[in-house]
Amino acid sequence: MARDPKYDILFEPIQLGPKTMKNRFYQIPHCNGFGSEKPLSQAYFRAMKAEGGYGACCTEYCSISPESDDTHRVSARLWDDEDVKNLSVMCEMLHDHGALAAAELWYGGPHAPCMESRSVPRGPSQIPSDFEYLTYAKEMDKDDIREVQQLYVDAARRARDAGFDIVYVYGSHSYLPQQFLTPYYNKRTDEYGGSFENRARFWRETIEQVRDAVGDDTAIAVRMSCDMFMGDAGTQLERDCLPFVELCDEIVDVWDINVSGISEWGEDATPSRFYPSGRLLPWQEAVKKVSKKPVLGVGRFTSPDLMVDAINSGKLDIIATCRPSISDPFLPKKIDEGRLDDIRECIGCNICISRWEIGGPPVICTQNATAGEEYRRGWHPEKFDTAENADNDVLVVGAGPAGMECAMILGKRGMRRVHLVEAEEDMGGIMRWIPQLPGLGEWARVVNYRKIQTDKLRNVEFIPGTTLDANGVKEYGAEIVVIATGAYWATDGLNGCTHDTIPGADASQPWCLTPEQIMRDGKDVPGSNVLIVDNDGYFMGVSLAEKLASEGKKVTLMTHLGHIAPYMHFTLEAPNQHRKLHKLGVDIVTYHIPSRIEQGAVTATHVYDEEAHEQTWDADAVVLVTQRRSNEALYRELKDRIGFDALREEGITGCYRIGDCEAPRLIADCVFSGHRLAREIDSENPEVPKPFIRERRVIERELAVA
Amino acid sequence: MKIVVCVKQVAVLGDEVEFADDALDVDPDYLDFALNEWDSYATEEALRTRESLGAEGDEIVVVSVGDRQVEDAMRRCLAMGADRAIRVDGPGSADPITLARLLAPVVQRESPDLVFCGVQSSDAVQAATGTVLAELTGLPRVAVVTRIEWDPSAARAIVHRELEGGLVDVTEVDTPALLTIQTGINQPRYATLRAIKQAEQKEIEVVSPAEQGEPAFRVRRMFTPPKEEGAQMLDGGPADIARRIKEIVEERLK
Repeated sequence: MARDPKYDILFEPIQLGPKTMKNRFYQIPHCNGFGSEKPLSQAYFRAMKAEGGYGACCTEYCSISPESDDTHRVSARLWDDEDVKNLSVMCEMLHDHGALAAAELWYGGPHAPCMESRSVPRGPSQIPSDFEYLTYAKEMDKDDIREVQQLYVDAARRARDAGFDIVYVYGSHSYLPQQFLTPYYNKRTDEYGGSFENRARFWRETIEQVRDAVGDDTAIAVRMSCDMFMGDAGTQLERDCLPFVELCDEIVDVWDINVSGISEWGEDATPSRFYPSGRLLPWQEAVKKVSKKPVLGVGRFTSPDLMVDAINSGKLDIIATCRPSISDPFLPKKIDEGRLDDIRECIGCNICISRWEIGGPPVICTQNATAGEEYRRGWHPEKFDTAENADNDVLVVGAGPAGMECAMILGKRGMRRVHLVEAEEDMGGIMRWIPQLPGLGEWARVVNYRKIQTDKLRNVEFIPGTTLDANGVKEYGAEIVVIATGAYWATDGLNGCTHDTIPGADASQPWCLTPEQIMRDGKDVPGSNVLIVDNDGYFMGVSLAEKLASEGKKVTLMTHLGHIAPYMHFTLEAPNQHRKLHKLGVDIVTYHIPSRIEQGAVTATHVYDEEAHEQTWDADAVVLVTQRRSNEALYRELKDRIGFDALREEGITGCYRIGDCEAPRLIADCVFSGHRLAREIDSENPEVPKPFIRERRVIERELAVA
Repeated sequence: MKIVVCVKQVAVLGDEVEFADDALDVDPDYLDFALNEWDSYATEEALRTRESLGAEGDEIVVVSVGDRQVEDAMRRCLAMGADRAIRVDGPGSADPITLARLLAPVVQRESPDLVFCGVQSSDAVQAATGTVLAELTGLPRVAVVTRIEWDPSAARAIVHRELEGGLVDVTEVDTPALLTIQTGINQPRYATLRAIKQAEQKEIEVVSPAEQGEPAFRVRRMFTPPKEEGAQMLDGGPADIARRIKEIVEERLK
């Protein structure tokens, strides 16, 4: 199919200083866990987006010096010529696909804990980081200012040597140049602090010096946050940012505009739970109005119509995407080819970001199981080899995230027939009801994408409303069987804190409930006082608290952890979720674990002082979000009662389980699990993942033989 | 007891459509093929009728018109549980009268107790083949059936047929009879992989087409309707628009 002409504007070239970008699709700087030290993973990851049609792709934040070392988190680095060599691979591969390469030069100031380099960062004033506690900067004197500016210049030269077409002087997320611009960070009284002109001086001088060094053949990009949402202390659009754009427009080739500081950067990388696409457009439009240079920016754009509208209405020149480019590196190509229903849309869960926040593991994506696996596993999101055993028929039992993904990929790998059998009337498994939790509607894209794709695959048949027992599986007629029957929330309070059940917890009682009883089965939550026991630590407990409180219940949310939903700090959902629960009057009880549950009351103790703190809460209903258990009965029947030998006699050569049915896990990991099995269905032992390439230094030496 | 189910393999359109060079049909590159949805309900109803009567040795025979390709759809019925399939080697996408003429001799030869057809096919949507077939075979016919209570020993069935506006006509019919089956009468079963494999191995009887006679109609040209001009857009709230439409209609009726 051909591109709809209404999207033509997205494919028009645009000039960025000395460089021409072939279209309007720009992969914004974002982390992937690879940095400069896993250079091939880095290069293959970025190049996949270039192959998918992106006109420019950036590194993640790219440290200019050991003084700006973000370890435990992983940044790119341009500290020396060896980093240049490593990042040059990325540049070369991007250029091979006709895309520009950009390096986001980064100096963190007090936010950089320097845990690897053990250096001391420099900053405008000596106040510890609001993001990384116990981290102070050395307050910069004039010599420090000159020296740090020289670090930018040297790194910019190295970036050009590596092959980068665009270098950033990066300020957003409250890093050094923006710290100088912002009173919250800058308490100086010299000519680098105080008035706007003084606060802007460091950034302007640095841009000038970088431009003088490399600007003749390299585009200069500036990434600026236009609102930190902290009143007078933070950067402000009218007071600081628009004047800064006017001050520097001549020496900047492209503006990259967003909002927020680093400690609440979920206001920039917005979870779908709180914000729709295009949330940053008002600030981007404001800059576009005063600048003569191209303006780019993110907004979690997945809809080409919104992209076109942002350009035609004068809000952006270039559509930058971060998360949508992880979810679908081929977003531009699919728009170009008129294949809109093949776009794997980002769901805004921020599980990708959680990996950076955790500090180091490779990027993952709920929608795209191949993200981060381009080099180390050789996976391509759009290309699939025909399986060597493609003459086999496969039965997949259970159409949740793992089963849907597995069936879809097996279909794309050309298996003769794939039957995806589901007990319920529709696909989705847990994803039929999780998107009905407050704010999680976009998560339903996990199901919709796979439904559309499997519908197109003639060798995949979805069979709803059908429950198979072990004999039914045995006699179904498949050569390969995949069990994906999911998991359930414990009904007896079994939990990871005490590793035991909670006395009295029993979800067969009308006053005691599990998440799926509420969301899937429609079990009534009796009374007005509800106590939720959350030993899970992610979205389920807080989402139910929000839902029940919104329905007028008085909700107490109890966790044995020190925070409610600590994983939501990693997904940047925590701050606004806290605000919501606070507004709804949800009582939060931390460091407590129930010792006894009965009708009407929950008795709990402090996890660090069992005797002194025993206390009883009134509760008309108790919701158990304690832990999940695999629905493995079918698998156990097949393996233990019938036996794999007996299955082989029926012609079943392999029986595997995937997803929550094997062990409960993140939705992203369920999708990965189904994808992995399908990718390796023709390996020697599909049950065991094939080794992946580990980018590491190997010592060449003779091993002593015992 | 024997039930004959007449089925059709229908063409399914994708997102995009181009017409063949002679403009007489859709370019086959743009078509997928599948068992007509109504016919899967008809097949299921035959299977359920047999199961409810629990009679041994009863037979369900699937009949279709078309070239080898339509055997895919027939095998889908065999995988669901039909016993036998007969393909009339004729033009499967012919008009309803031609199709009925081709089906009639097979139905007469099989001499079944009941003949089931789908109400209509999803590609041609003529809803006529079953009725013409009843005429040619001399069978009583009930159309758009949503429920069957058949008493074979009395050779009589009480049949519900769907009328417009949610009305249901309950009627009696002597068997043998021909019934056209409506969707929703049941939930068609899915075939297991084993049943699909077994159905692949089954022999499908092929019979030569009878005299077709004159077609009821012929396709002269397929084309995308040209865009016409003169549409009038109405602005305003629902009440304004409704009032305007009323005025326009009244004006035209004058």
